[in-house]
Amino acid sequence: MKDRLRDALKSSRADYREIRVERTWSSAVAFRGRRLEAATASEDVGGLVRVLHKGCGWGVASFTSLDRLPAMVARAGELSRAVRLDDPIRLAEVFPREADAVLDLDGDVRGVPLAEKKRLLEAYNGAMLAVGDRVVDTQASYRDEVSEVWYANSEGTLIYQLRPEVVLSGTAIARRDGVIEKGLESLGYRKGWNAAQGRETGFRAVAERAVALLDAPGVKGGTYPVVLDPELGGVFIHEAFGHLSEADFVYENPQAREMMTLGRRFGKPVLNVGDNGAAAGLRGTSPFDDEGTPTQDTALIKDGVLVGRLHSRETAARLGERPTGNARALSFRHAPIVRMTNTYIAASRGGGTFAELIKDIPLGVYACGAFGGQTLLENFSFTAAYGYMIRDGQVAELVKDVVLAGNLFQTLDRIERVAGDFQWNQMGGGCGKGGQFPLPVTEGAPHVRIEEALVGGDVAV
Amino acid sequence: MIADLLGAVRRRAQGGDALWRREERTGLAFESGRLKSATTTEEAGVNLRVVKDGRVGVAGTTAADTATDGLLDRALASAALGETLDLTFPPPSPLPHVPTFIDGAANASLAALIGVGQELVARLNRDGCQLNVAIEREVSETEIANTAGAAGRYRATGVGVGVDLTRIAGDDVLMVYDQYVGAALPSAAELDALVRSVTTRLELALTVVEPPEGALPVIFTPAGLAAILLPLEQALSGKAVLQGVSPLGGKTGERVFDERFSLTDDPLAAGRAGSRPCDDEAVPSRPLRLVEEGVVRQFVYDLETAARAGTTSTGHGRRGIFGKPGIAYANLLVGTNGQPATDAWQPGGGLAAGLRNGLIVEDLIGVGQGNVIGGTFSHPVALAYRVDRGEITGRVKDAAVAGNVYELLKRIGGFGSDGRWLGTRFAPSLLLEGVSVARR
Repeated sequence: MKDRLRDALKSSRADYREIRVERTWSSAVAFRGRRLEAATASEDVGGLVRVLHKGCGWGVASFTSLDRLPAMVARAGELSRAVRLDDPIRLAEVFPREADAVLDLDGDVRGVPLAEKKRLLEAYNGAMLAVGDRVVDTQASYRDEVSEVWYANSEGTLIYQLRPEVVLSGTAIARRDGVIEKGLESLGYRKGWNAAQGRETGFRAVAERAVALLDAPGVKGGTYPVVLDPELGGVFIHEAFGHLSEADFVYENPQAREMMTLGRRFGKPVLNVGDNGAAAGLRGTSPFDDEGTPTQDTALIKDGVLVGRLHSRETAARLGERPTGNARALSFRHAPIVRMTNTYIAASRGGGTFAELIKDIPLGVYACGAFGGQTLLENFSFTAAYGYMIRDGQVAELVKDVVLAGNLFQTLDRIERVAGDFQWNQMGGGCGKGGQFPLPVTEGAPHVRIEEALVGGDVAV
Repeated sequence: MIADLLGAVRRRAQGGDALWRREERTGLAFESGRLKSATTTEEAGVNLRVVKDGRVGVAGTTAADTATDGLLDRALASAALGETLDLTFPPPSPLPHVPTFIDGAANASLAALIGVGQELVARLNRDGCQLNVAIEREVSETEIANTAGAAGRYRATGVGVGVDLTRIAGDDVLMVYDQYVGAALPSAAELDALVRSVTTRLELALTVVEPPEGALPVIFTPAGLAAILLPLEQALSGKAVLQGVSPLGGKTGERVFDERFSLTDDPLAAGRAGSRPCDDEAVPSRPLRLVEEGVVRQFVYDLETAARAGTTSTGHGRRGIFGKPGIAYANLLVGTNGQPATDAWQPGGGLAAGLRNGLIVEDLIGVGQGNVIGGTFSHPVALAYRVDRGEITGRVKDAAVAGNVYELLKRIGGFGSDGRWLGTRFAPSLLLEGVSVARR
C-alpha cells in the first residue's frame, strides 16, 4: 500500500499532494427492548486525495474504489486548478516524517464471533430490563471497529496507523401513566474487546435513575449557583467554548478574531482549559492528525486568559501561529477540518473536593450528565441528564428537567471555583461539525462551580 | 450485480433483498466570499438482507471490488443470530412515474456551479459580515430488488445551495442561514428568493430590541417549525407506536389537532429532494395522508416494523450501505399543496400584521434534545423577532420559548401566506397562541 501511495503521489506535479487510504472492519449489535434489532459486520474501504496548485484553492477527491486512485489524483488536480485565488493558500511548515503507529488492539475484536458480542450486549440490556416493570423500553448498542489508515504527502511524510475502538450505549425508558423518563449510559474507548467487559453496573444504574426520575419533581426555574459534574463540565467546555477556539472560526473573519483576541480575559484565574490530542488512550487521541502533524497538549485558557487556539496547517499559516495537530477528518469521505481532540477544564491546584465545593451554598443546583447540548456561538443550551438540589451545603433531593441556558462569556466569567477531582469522560457518541459526525472526542473536567446560572425546566405553559 | 447476488441468495437462503447505490457528488465551498475548495466524491456500495430459517440478517460493503460471497457470508452470519420474523418481500408491481433526474443538473459544468456561487457572493457580500456559500450537486443511481421478483431502478439528481451570513459586533453574534434544495439547479426566481430571504432576515435583525414576556402568540416560520413538527414526526412512526412510546398511538380516527391542520408525506412530489418511485425496500411510492383535518389517519411503516405490527409497509423504508433498513419520511407537507408562495421570503407570511404583542421564531437552540416525542419543549431562541402592534421591530436576544406541541396545535391562530420548501419539508408559518416566552 505504501508503494501504491508513493507512486500515485509522483503522478501529479501539483505543488502539494496528499493521500489518505482507510480500511475499516466494524461490527454492531443493537437491542430494542428484549428484541435483537440487528447484528452486523461491515467492511468499509476508500481514500481521499487533496491537491493544491500554486495560486489555486483545494482540489479534493474521495472514492470507494481503490483502483481509481491514479485517476482521482488527476481529478483533484483539475479541481484545484478550477479554483483561482488571488490570496493564495499557504501551509505552515511541519517536519516530514515516516512512522508506523500501531496501537494495542486489546483483544482484537475481529477474532471475536458476532454471537459473543450479542451475548455481551444482551447481558447489559438485561441489566437495565431487570430493574423492574417501570422500565418499559430499552435501547442498547455495541459497536466496534479496527481501522488501518495510510497517509502520505508530497513533502515526504508517510504514516501508517492501526487503531481499535469499542463503543457501548444504553437508554432506559421508564414510564408511569403519562410520565416518561430516560436514563442514558455511554461508554467509548480506543481499545478492544477487553475494555467492553464488566460494564453491567453502569447500565443498571441508568435504568434505576430513569425509574427514580418518575417520582422526582421538575427543578423550579430560576437563577441559582450551579455545580456541574465532570461529565456536564466536559460537555460544556467542548460545546460552549471549544468550538470558538477552532481557528477556522476566526481566520477569515476579522470581527471574530477580535472577539477571540489572544490575551483577552475569559474567566477568573481559577479557569484553565486545553485540548490534548496526545493524551494516552482516549478516543480523541492519535499520534498524528490527518495532515501528518504530531498532536500535542495545547493550552487555550491559562489562569483565565485566552492563550491559544486549535489549528490546521492552513489556519496556522494564515494567522502566523504554529500548527497544533487538530486537522481531523471523520473518514476518507471528508477532507480534514479543524477539530477538537480531548478537551478539558484542568483541575485547580488545591481545588479540594466536591464536598468542599458545595459546603457554603445555601440553595443551588447540582447538574449531572448530559442528554444533549447545543451552542450557537455565544448562546448555549444544555440538558442535564438529572440533577439534585443543593440545600445548606448538602446534596438534597433528585430533580429533573434541568436545562441550563445562557451566554458563554458571562457563564465562563462566573466560574468561581474548580475542584481538584479531574476525570476524563470516556463516552461514546462524538462531535459534529461541517457535516462530519460523529468524530470521536473525549472531554474532561473536575466539578465546577458557577456562581449564578439560569436553570429552566418548569417554564409555565 | 444485484441479480447475481440475489441468485446466490436464492441458493443459500429462503429470500432476501438488496440495494445497490452509486453516488457522485461535486461540492464547492466559498468561505468569506472566496471559492476555497472544489470536491468530488465517488461512492458505491451494496446493502444485503437475507432470511434464513425464518431469521433476518443484514450486511453491507463499499469494498465492492471483492467477491460478493463475503457479503453473503456475513449476512448469513448475521441471520444466524437474528430473531425470527415473518418478513414478506413485496411482489413485482408497476412503479409510479416521478421525475427525479434533471439533465440540466446532472450535466451542469463545474464552471456553471461556480457561477451560481459567484452570483450569490456578488449579491450578498457586505461589509462587516462573513459570507459562506456551499454548493453541492449529486447524481445517483439506485437499484433495488428482492427474491419475490420486485425491482426498482432509478437515477436521481440533487442540488443544494446553502448560504450563511455571520455578523459579529463586539460580543454579539448574528447568524442568518437559508438554503435551496431540489432536483434541479435553482432558477433565477429561486436564487432571487434566497437572496431576498437572507437580506430581509439580516436587515430585520440589525436592530436589537427587548424581548416580550408571558404567554404570547408566537409565529413559527417554516424554519422555526422544526421544533413543533419533530415530535409529530417521531410520534407518527409505526415503530414508536409498536414500542408503546407514541402519544398518538391508538388515536387513529381521533381529532387531535386543529381541524385546519393536515400532514401529508408525498414521495411523488415533482423535483423534490425526497422523491423516488419506490422506497429502499422496493415498495411502490404513494402519497400518504398522516393527519387529515386534525384527525390522525395513518402511521408510517417499513417492511420489518409492518411485519411486527401485523400491517403492511407504507413504503417508508430507507437504508444506507451499512446497517438495516429503518423508517424515514420522503417529503413531508404541512397542508397538502406544496405550491410555494410568491412572498415566501417575508418572515411570518403576513401573520405579524394581526399581532399586538408577540414573537416570530426563525431558529431555536437545542431542538431534538431531551424528551422530544412527549411534545414538551423549552428552547432559547437563536433567531427571533419581536412583533409590536403589527410591526416587526427588531431581533430579540436572551429569550426562551416553551410549550407542548400537542396542546398548541389544538388551536392554530393562523396560517401564513409564505408556504415554502425547506429541504424535504413544506410548510407555511403557523401562529400558535399561548406560547410561554421567558426573558433570561
